[in-house]
This record gives sequence, C-alpha cells and structure tokens, in this order.
Amino acid sequence: MVRRWFLVVAFAACLPAAADDTYQLVLGSFANPDNAERWAQQLTRQLRFPIGVAPLPHGSALGYRVVTAPLQGDDLQQAIRAIRAHGLDFWRLATPPTLPDAVAGEAPDVPEDRAAARVTSRAAPASAERRSSRDAAQQNFDVDIGVQWRGFPDQGLDGQSRSDASISVQSRYYASWASGAWNAAITPFGRYDAQDDHRTHADLREFYISTVGDDWDLYVGSRQIFWGVTEFNHLVDIINQTDLVEDIDGEVKLGQPMLNLSLVRTWGIVDFFVMPYFRERTFPGEDGRLRHLVPVDDGDVLYDAGKKQQHVDLAVRWAHNLGPVEFGLYQFSGTSRAPQLFPVLRPNGQLVLRPYYDLIEQTGLDAQVIVGDWAFKLEALSRAGQGNRYAAATGGFERTLVGVLGGRSDLGLVLEYIWDQRDDEADSIYDHDIAIAGRWRLNDVADSQALLGLMWDVRTDEYIVNLEASRRLGDRWSLGVEGRLFGGTNAPPTSPPAAVLDALADQEHKLDQLARDDYIQLELTRYF
Amino acid sequence: MTGKSLAGGALTLLAMLWTGSATYAGIAQEQGRAVFVELDRRNSGYEDLQVDLTMVLRNSLGARSDRLLTIAQLEIPDGGDKLLIVFDTPKAIKGTALLSVGHLQEPDDQWLYLPALSRVKKIASRNKSGPFLGSEFAFEDLASPEVEKFDYQYLRRETLDDVACDVVQRIPRDEYSGYTRQIVWVDEESRVRRIDYYDRKESLLKTLTVSDFELHEDEFWKPARMFMENHENGKTTELLWSNFRFRVGLIDERDFSTNSLKRAR
Repeated sequence: MVRRWFLVVAFAACLPAAADDTYQLVLGSFANPDNAERWAQQLTRQLRFPIGVAPLPHGSALGYRVVTAPLQGDDLQQAIRAIRAHGLDFWRLATPPTLPDAVAGEAPDVPEDRAAARVTSRAAPASAERRSSRDAAQQNFDVDIGVQWRGFPDQGLDGQSRSDASISVQSRYYASWASGAWNAAITPFGRYDAQDDHRTHADLREFYISTVGDDWDLYVGSRQIFWGVTEFNHLVDIINQTDLVEDIDGEVKLGQPMLNLSLVRTWGIVDFFVMPYFRERTFPGEDGRLRHLVPVDDGDVLYDAGKKQQHVDLAVRWAHNLGPVEFGLYQFSGTSRAPQLFPVLRPNGQLVLRPYYDLIEQTGLDAQVIVGDWAFKLEALSRAGQGNRYAAATGGFERTLVGVLGGRSDLGLVLEYIWDQRDDEADSIYDHDIAIAGRWRLNDVADSQALLGLMWDVRTDEYIVNLEASRRLGDRWSLGVEGRLFGGTNAPPTSPPAAVLDALADQEHKLDQLARDDYIQLELTRYF
Repeated sequence: MTGKSLAGGALTLLAMLWTGSATYAGIAQEQGRAVFVELDRRNSGYEDLQVDLTMVLRNSLGARSDRLLTIAQLEIPDGGDKLLIVFDTPKAIKGTALLSVGHLQEPDDQWLYLPALSRVKKIASRNKSGPFLGSEFAFEDLASPEVEKFDYQYLRRETLDDVACDVVQRIPRDEYSGYTRQIVWVDEESRVRRIDYYDRKESLLKTLTVSDFELHEDEFWKPARMFMENHENGKTTELLWSNFRFRVGLIDERDFSTNSLKRAR
C-alpha cells in the first residue's frame, strides 16, 4: 500500500507550490486497487511519465483513481498532448493547494477531503475542453451493401424469369458543425438488378443542408418524410414518391427536393413544405416481376400541371400530442404521387400503361391513442382532383403482449380495416379490406423479429399473405426474409389485346395481375 | 427454527400489532421515501447532461456483443426529465433514436425514430418493461426514477462491501412495470449501490451492482460502471459510462422534440 501512495507524494514533492490552475489528470477509476496499480504501471510505460494511484477520498474502499501528478502550465499541456496522442480518455481534477492527507497514505476518511476529488468541468479549462470537442465539426460516413435474391414458384405472365438476383449499395455521409446548428446529409442509393433494367436504378435518398434554431428547423434539399400510423396501408403518407421497384409495400421512397420549415411550439409542431420538383414513380420494366399485366411506359408521362415536374407542390402539417393522444393534420396541394394508368396501344402493336399525374388537393389526418398495451390508430383523407372528391380511411388497433413465449419476447396483434369511398373504383388494392397481423419480437441480442400478416378483400375474397422477418448476424451483418402470396386470384389472359384491356379494366379483381407473382426474398446486408 | 423461538417470534409480532404496527409501518414508509427524496434532491440541479454509454452484453457462455449509445438528458424543474438516446452501433441500427418524456406520476411517453423508414413511432407503455436493445436492462431500469412512481418501505441499515447503506424496498406504482418490487441499497452519499429486482412471479430476477463513482461538477456522483446480472438466464449486461458533460446548454424544443429525433445521428 505504501508504495502506491509513494509515487503520488513523490510527484508532489517534485513540483512547485500548487497554484489555482493545477490539475491532476484522471485516466481511470477502479474498485480493485490491484487493477488500478496494474493500469498505472502500464500507462507509466506507455506514456513515459509517472502515473500513480490515488484513493477516492471518501473512504478508501470506494475506489482508486489512476492519476498523474498535479500539473500546471506547460507540463499540464504536454501531459494532455501525450495522453491524447495515445488515444486515451481523461478528465481533470482540481488539486487543492496542498495535497490532502489521503494522498499521503493515511486513513482517508475525512469527509472534507472530498475537495481533492472535485471535478471542475465547470471551471473554465476543463469545460472549455469538452465544449470545444462538441463545437468541432462531427462527421461520419457509412456504407451498406445488400445482396438480394427473389424466387418465384411460377414464371411471370409474360414469361419473366423465376429468379431475380440484385445487389444494392447505400452510403450515407453526415456532417454536423457549429454545435449542431448546421447539418448536412448525402445518402446515395443504387441497385443493380440482373433481370429488370428498370429495377437497376439510383437515387439520392437524402441530399440536404439544414440549420437548427432554438425552436425551429430549416431544411433545404432532398429528404424523406413519413406520415402515418397504420400498419398495412400508408394512406396519408404523401411527401415522398414511392420507389415501387424496390418493394410493392410502398415503404421505400425516393428523395423529395424541398424547402421545409418546422416550428416547435407548445401547441405542437408545424411544418411547411415547398416542393419545387416532382419525382415520378418507378415501375418495373418489361422483364420485371410484380408488375401490371402490361408494362408501364415511364418514358411517356402525362401531367395535369402545365409546368409538369416543375410544378411547385405545397403542404402544411400540424402535429401534436396531448397525453395519450397524438395526431397530425395536413393540407397538401400539388401533384398526386400515385398516377392514373391508362392503357395505350403503341404503333408497334404493344400495349402499355401510360401514367397520368393529376393535380390534387388533399386533407389528411393521422391519429393514435395509446392506452396501456393498446394502440388505436386512424388514418383518413379527403382528396379532390382525381374525379369526384372522395374520402378514404384506415383504422384499427395494435395490442402488445409483453413477455410471451419464453418471457423475453413480445407479440403485437394488429387488426385494421381499410375503406375507400370509391369502392371498387379505387385506384389501389386498398378498397374494402380487413387486415390482421402478428408481430413477434424476440428482444434478443440479434434483434430477431417476424411479422406475419393477412389482408383480405371482404368483397372479392382476394387476399395477400405477407411475411417479413429479420435478424442481425453479429455486429455487421443482417439477414432479412420476405415473402408474399397473392391468393383468391386467377391469372388473366395476356392476349388478344381486347381481353387484356378487359383484364386491366377489371376493378373487382385487381390482384389478378399479380396472380403468378408469389415470391420469397432473401437479403443479406453487410454494414461498413 | 425451534418451537420456542417460533413462539417467541409470534409473541413479538403480537406485541407489535398490539402497540400499533400501523404507525410502525407508516414510519418505515416515510423513512424509505425520505431516502429517495434525498437521492432525488442530490441528483437535481444538473440542468442538462450528455454522456456516452457502452453496453457490453454477455450470454451465459460468455459470448460478447457491444452497443454504443449517446444519451442526452434534460432536467425539467417540477416535471419529469427528458431523455434522448441515440444508437451508434451495431451499424444496422445506427441513427435509431429514442425520445423519452418523463412524467412525475403517469407513465413516461416514448417515441422511437427508425431511420430506415424515416418513421417516428410512439411506443406503447407496456413495451418499456421489455429488454432494452436485447440487454438485461429494461428501459424502466435506465430512466431516472421519479419519487412518486414508487411506494417505499425502509427495511434496514446494512454494510455492503464495507459501505454503510440504507436498504429500502420500493414497489412500482406503474401497473405495466415488469417488477413487483425492488430492494435498493443506498449509501450515505445518496448513491444507489445495488438493486435487487423481483419479477411478477416474486422471484429474484436480476441484480444491479453500481460502482466506480466519480464526483462531477462538484456535486453529482455518477457511476462509471453498472453491472446487471440476470439470475434466470445467466446473461449479464455491463454499462460503462464515460465522457459526462454537464450543463452543455441543451434546449427543450430544440433538443428534445420529435424533430430532434430525426437529426440525432
């Protein structure tokens, strides 16, 4: 015991009388004095200046610090540089004018000696040190690469391949400076698909610069914004265009260029969006799977807006939470993200679908009430501009059961009803459906989870079975499995053109076009 | 236990009932509560703080998995504290962030931001008793415990690893808590040294051991190490806290709204 205090005393003896700006640098704390001693010895060898051990002043049993001698001026700066150069963490301890008895090796049980252990991060030097590290620009760069394979039991209606392999890369550069008052992000994404040249595509998911005030955020550039609460149908989500070739669930989105001002008030958050450029939906090509009966010709797009893609879309949204209730209410004015698709016969005799993007006015509401393990959810909209004004809604609940099947995992049970005033005339498959799902989270180290869902059209008996499961493999890999089954369907004819047109116009059997597209997907992602 | 001492015990118990055990229980409650009122007082006034956290998860075979998080905390005078947790590793969940808005009596509100979907999702209160990031900590073990969220019972004074401690039982008032009760060892500096967690089956589920305390800002004792051991599955989680930064100047609307979740990287 004497030996380790000796070092500290020796430092003290070697130094001039301590002034106010004398510090000891603390390199670690240990409950076990032997460990502290070992670490001190190792550091002494590594740093080439003496490091000692001091007990935490409040009773010797409480802990031991690995510290430098009290240092000031150039010695202090030099020690800091050396410690940093070795990539070590430290903090400063203000040293009282004379070393307390504790350090001299006597029973350190005098409470007054707490003075010796006072961390002075409020005192100028230490806090300036820490804050400057926060002020400094932060940046990081990440890349993930995914290899994906889709297998289809059947060939496509036009003989498309039963197997599809693709590889995707997404990287993200993020920078933050001036204490986080300014931020910027660039997130390029790209996929190469072996079968479908339309699925081989690239996009800037994010490309923005933002500045943050005390109660506002301002963003300029491309971003991703999601609105909504329900599980099956993202009815009110409208800011970003769907990257449909990525996944038919509509959850993958293209970056939307915008100017967004967000104000944080006591009565909620208000967002203003000005969107000067329209992104067209991606559609699978002729050789792609999970497409319409005939391909969409996305090279021949029609717009309601005179300025086409340059039409400026506007949106404003108010979101708030009051106790268990949270809601968002918005008004959108601009080009519909979902196009109408009109069959066109090309001069070469090929039938294609031509997208037409309407100008719409849409009011949307999403609300959620959480009571205990129940979450009640509602999304509703009223839209004008695509035919008559109409309303649509999706609502339901999710109940979470905690600690099922072995104690650690939870099971979420979802029940939702999907309604569209237009009935069968709705331009999507979400018209009159009941959806149920079970979401199982294992809460394990690998974050394993699985979702099994069924969406059933109560009028036509068409249904979709949906499976999504994922887990991490170690710290840098993850594996995802996805499967979809389109049931209650009959494969539509692919000729003659008159029969195809009839099939395309068949609003009652919208899923028929996907009758042969049941699939299973495996994706392995590596994070760098 | 011999028949005689059993009878003696019963006699003592009877005497206690006779002389007013209600008062006795009342004192134990007050005394237990007082320990946590003092603990709360000693932990107040920090204004805001940021800290880095490394979670080391080990299973019963010793296989290790680490998570790095950054935590920002804001003190709300006369209100529940706010907490913003940003996940840094594993990389698959990088950028995921959790905002917790504490309440003095009702259960806290929590929102999770999922960067892959750009989606802010409110969490049902029951989820808070489940494992946090696959660790042996539940979220409710990490949130700063408000005094009014428990009922207390002072048990005894006891020396734990040579440190004199008050031992208090506390019972969560939240019906969705994963615990029926906790036994907490608090030392004379109002530092929690150990917590025994009893689950719904009334069996000892976990033990938390807290050590390596350091005094920050001249007034706040913060542990550098917390060690949770699950007695049921043999798994452990070690929390290593480092780089405490106090009074950074965090702002409620700017740093603790659902907007801040989206920019927390």
